[in-house]
Amino acid sequence: MSDEQLIREITAGNDAAFRTLMERYQRQVFRTVMGFVHMKEDAEDITQEVFIRVYQSLHTFQGESEFSTWLYRITVNMSLNFLRSNRKKRVLQSLETLFTLRSEEKSPLEELESAERDRRIRKAIDTLPERQRMAFILSSYEELPQKKIAAVMNRSEGAVEQLLQRAKENLQKKLSPTIGK
Amino acid sequence: MQREHPIDELIRREKETEPNPFLVTHVMAKIEGAKKMRRSTPLWQSLTLAAGMAAVVFLGISIGNSYVENGTTAVALNINDRQIENLGYYNFGDDEQGQ
Repeated sequence: MSDEQLIREITAGNDAAFRTLMERYQRQVFRTVMGFVHMKEDAEDITQEVFIRVYQSLHTFQGESEFSTWLYRITVNMSLNFLRSNRKKRVLQSLETLFTLRSEEKSPLEELESAERDRRIRKAIDTLPERQRMAFILSSYEELPQKKIAAVMNRSEGAVEQLLQRAKENLQKKLSPTIGK
Repeated sequence: MQREHPIDELIRREKETEPNPFLVTHVMAKIEGAKKMRRSTPLWQSLTLAAGMAAVVFLGISIGNSYVENGTTAVALNINDRQIENLGYYNFGDDEQGQ
């Protein structure tokens, strides 16, 4: 069943159709949110909120863009809103993960180095300008083509290409002193 | 073999993270719960509750106003307690009593 058919079913009151739609898109939404928040628990909470918002506002979906484009827009906006309202909490969480990571393959020192490297990379991604970050996450976590990213962000393909280029340059600049190119 | 770049490696690991398998069920339960809440509190119930609260507030204000209007402070001030025990009586001299 196509997305359009499912949406018609849902607006007619068929909740089973909404379950099907969620099963179809939950991984995409979760992965995108992971790109923004990097924490499984937070990503799950936001994914749930995204689908509840979709259910509540599905009647406003006009079908002018693809459903997945509309869904990605909601996902990106809700992830950014979450980050804006939980800045302090996230600093504490990132420190917490630094001390709670355990791996049997690595020595404690290697573990700590690896956790610190992850923290630096996450911080570099998180401190990218908002549009560069959106384009980078949709491209690298979701592997969306530039055309699709342009539709989600309401920008031209050329603008997205530039954003991606700048994002990669910025990441290299931020990480080059500590992490190899 | 070429070593994976640390950024690509982190992204790959995060992408491999799987969401809770009950995520869809949780969302459906929340939606169902919200629907039940809406069903269990129909409009007439909300209106009755609002009207009741308005009546209680109105009654409270009325009782408060009536208490102030029938206050007893003015009556209390008009009591002439000189008449309760006339102390002047004990100040009379013997010669005065006879008159």
